[in-house]
Amino acid sequence: VSVSLTDIRNTVGNVPMEWYRDFPHIGYNLDGKKIYKPIRNKDELDDFLDKMDNPDYWRTVPDKQTGSDVVLSDEQVQLVNRLQRGQFGDANFNEYEPQVEFFSRDVMLHPVTNRPADKRSFIPSLIEKEKVSKLVHAIKMGWIKPRRVEDDSRGRYYDLWANEDSSILARHKMHLPAPKIPLPGHQESYNPPPEYLFTDEERALWEQQDPCDRKLPFVPRKFSSLRQVPAFSRFIHERFERCLDLYLCPRQRKMRVNVNPEDLIPKLPKPKDLQPFPTTQSLVYRGHSGLVRSISVSPSGQWLASGSDDGSVRFWEVCSSRCLKTVQVGGAVKSVAWNPNPSVCLLAVALDSVVLILSPSLADRQVVLSSERLLSAPQEADANEGAGPVTWSETEGEELNHGIRLKIQHPKAVQQVSWHAKGDYVASVMPDHSSNLQVLIHQLSRRRSQNPFRKNKGLVQCVSFHPVRPYFFVGTQRSVRIYNLVKQEMTKKLQANSKWISSMAVHPGGDHVICGSYDCRLSWFDLDLSTKPYKMLRHHKKAVRGVAYHRLYPLFASASDDGTVIVCHGTVYNDLLQNPLIVPVKVLRGHEITHDLGVLDVTFHPTQPWVFSSGADATIRLFT
Amino acid sequence: MSQLQARFFTEDKRYIVDDVPFSIPAGSEVQDLSNVINKLLEANNASHSKVEFDFLVRGQFLRTSLSIHMDTEGSYDKTARIWSVEGKAVMTVAGHTDVVKDVAWVKRDGLTSLLLTASLDQTLLLWEWNSERNKLKARHCCRGHTGSVDAVATDPTGSKFCSGSWDKMLKIWSAVPTDEADEVEEPADRPRKKQKTQQLGLTRTPLMTLSGHNEAVSSVLWCDSEEVCSASWDHTIRVWDVETGGMKTALTGSKVFNCISYSPLCRRLASGSTDRHIRLWDPRTKDGSLVLLSLTSHTGWVTAVKWAPSHEHQLVSGSLDNLVKLWDTRSCKAPLYDLAAHEDKVFCVDWTESGLMLSGGADNKLYSYRYSACQTDAGA
Repeated sequence: VSVSLTDIRNTVGNVPMEWYRDFPHIGYNLDGKKIYKPIRNKDELDDFLDKMDNPDYWRTVPDKQTGSDVVLSDEQVQLVNRLQRGQFGDANFNEYEPQVEFFSRDVMLHPVTNRPADKRSFIPSLIEKEKVSKLVHAIKMGWIKPRRVEDDSRGRYYDLWANEDSSILARHKMHLPAPKIPLPGHQESYNPPPEYLFTDEERALWEQQDPCDRKLPFVPRKFSSLRQVPAFSRFIHERFERCLDLYLCPRQRKMRVNVNPEDLIPKLPKPKDLQPFPTTQSLVYRGHSGLVRSISVSPSGQWLASGSDDGSVRFWEVCSSRCLKTVQVGGAVKSVAWNPNPSVCLLAVALDSVVLILSPSLADRQVVLSSERLLSAPQEADANEGAGPVTWSETEGEELNHGIRLKIQHPKAVQQVSWHAKGDYVASVMPDHSSNLQVLIHQLSRRRSQNPFRKNKGLVQCVSFHPVRPYFFVGTQRSVRIYNLVKQEMTKKLQANSKWISSMAVHPGGDHVICGSYDCRLSWFDLDLSTKPYKMLRHHKKAVRGVAYHRLYPLFASASDDGTVIVCHGTVYNDLLQNPLIVPVKVLRGHEITHDLGVLDVTFHPTQPWVFSSGADATIRLFT
Repeated sequence: MSQLQARFFTEDKRYIVDDVPFSIPAGSEVQDLSNVINKLLEANNASHSKVEFDFLVRGQFLRTSLSIHMDTEGSYDKTARIWSVEGKAVMTVAGHTDVVKDVAWVKRDGLTSLLLTASLDQTLLLWEWNSERNKLKARHCCRGHTGSVDAVATDPTGSKFCSGSWDKMLKIWSAVPTDEADEVEEPADRPRKKQKTQQLGLTRTPLMTLSGHNEAVSSVLWCDSEEVCSASWDHTIRVWDVETGGMKTALTGSKVFNCISYSPLCRRLASGSTDRHIRLWDPRTKDGSLVLLSLTSHTGWVTAVKWAPSHEHQLVSGSLDNLVKLWDTRSCKAPLYDLAAHEDKVFCVDWTESGLMLSGGADNKLYSYRYSACQTDAGA
């Protein structure tokens, strides 16, 4: 706005305008002369005419300071309008300019303030510390009493049910109110739709059924109007039944137990807690050319004897897998058994229909001497010895050089030999369906044999002596019979649920027996528990050929036609209350399946947690 | 310096030499023999380039521990053989009635040497070997064990030796050959055996018996001249005091111990077990069992371990997985070298004085290896 000399704005001074009311002038010009008010002698009429005619009337404004009328220009009018509307005066002003971000999230090169943070922003506040210490002092001096926390728990609430009888409480909890009567539906209507009425068959069915079986206790009837509805005949009956329901009918909550099926499975210990047990194959004893049917470890644990279908018995050194001795016996060997008496070194071999007693010279001189003494002929010669079913004979010449000492000739093929724990008696099995001469017990020192059984009770598969007591276990096809040798009678008959028992082993403690059968099952019998198996293990896929217990460690193993040996942990507890704990622990693989036969025999080392297994692939493997 | 006759055989057609006996100095080593062969081959074929040879010897089944410098081995053919370093069987030591399990040198002088053989027939024989005249004579037959003798070791002074057997006992015997027989009760019903003893030398009875193991003793050694260390199948290693005959400490493990070896340089005992680890123990610890280090790389039973006589960190081990491994105890994660020469199980390893390693195994072969010390640190 340019200031011209004639249009100086403030000619008045900073005084209120009513001081000039009575004067003819208003303001002064630069020279000091009075500026006279413009003549305004417009009366109402002129004013009205002015209003009508003057096109600029609406924007004419009297200026207080100069007294004249000012005609506003368009921009000024626009300015006034904007101000009246509450907008910014300047039309060009854009109040929505983008803000200059003064503080932004972008990290600028130079910060707004580079003032380092005060230490007081990191450490506990000093002002608060002062306040707190003042309060503490006040509390100590007793000026302020701290508010005690109210202990609401005691005394505020009275336990209503504290002294209540628990049986009453239980009854209250168990209370189930009678269910509400269902609201009447279409059946109960006095004019039901025709489909709710009974047809003749439904009617007949309804009458036939027992009252308690019926779905509806009444027959739906149809009446054309409410007036015609008769009195309900069963009214009292219905009410009475409801009352009986309410106060006489016992109801009980059905306790549904939410059982997690996994909780029912007993928690067995993990195998790695049950170490030591054999885990890997360590040695392979190669040398046989036919399938190895039977193996036996010496009581000292140094030697392993094996018999095979190629007609030889081999002696191996356990720790080096070297075959030290081979004895050709001239027939497929079905079973070998080492004498468990540690002061004697003898091996019983069953082949064809002969049982041979071998004396391998693998031991100390003293031991060999006592073996010889055991084998030497008895002084007294009984006359009726020759007439028995078996004949004893000593060997000479070539056979003697090999170590074979005695031959016991049987009438039929011998399947298995088994020693008594003391080492004097040996039992041999000749399976035959029809005869009663299936089991023979021989005494080495007196060279006597006897048949303990008179009747034939089934095809005998395997026999075993009890390790401690005078019992004799005979395993037939379906059951295991336990005989007391002293009383000469049968004490127990264990029924396995298997079709064909193949092998049997007795626990060294003498109270448990395991049987393996050709239908892939292994049954553990607890003799103190019952004659039925305590546990049946079905770990194998094919027939179980051999089972064995460890003498010292709580382990047992089973060998099967699927080429595996499964070692399980079986702890037996001394107290009669706890059942044995059976945990399968390792599957040992290594044998190859030859001609559908896998592992044929399994036995444990007497002192170390090692297991030997012999298979149809003509090898014996040691797992440690 | 005595000369030996040697014949060289090979199946490799490139390296065949004439099959005539050569006269080789007795002190030759693999390197010298290699030179001889190379010279012969060069004479035949002008374009032959120098090749390092290894020499193999054949015998019956081998299972023993080897001694230093001149090697003896016992084997399952009931004899022991003395080999020269170049690989020739110098002498066959026959006298046992059963398999020879272990051998040990008592002393090796220039002229006469004494050696011991331990066998399955429960006796030990002390032999005197005259290397000049190549004559061997059995001086003593040591009886007393009731089980096969599996391990024998001589003490550092050479005056005593200790044997361990399957009858769970250790027996200490004198190693000095004398001329009079020890008193021994001869059972009356064995006249045949009496004649045999006279052929095998005078009978000797043990000075002391150390009992305490619950199972067979698989390996014995002398820590110093008054201490014997034995490892057994009852999972323990026991240190015995020879003076009193009592047990000093017992280190318990969890598996059967197959073999142990002691190094006076680092005073550590290394043991091989029926699991695949070699464990290092400190025999001076007073408490039950503290395995210092466990070296794992074998995949079968470790049947033999031996510390290097000149290097305090090296040891060699043989195992049933046909491998011989050379270890440095400073890098325990992996062995320095895997020597895969055997085709069957390795049963024994040893070091010679000249720094050769030897190993014998079930494939009837005795291999010798040379390890040239590298300047680089073991970083395997």
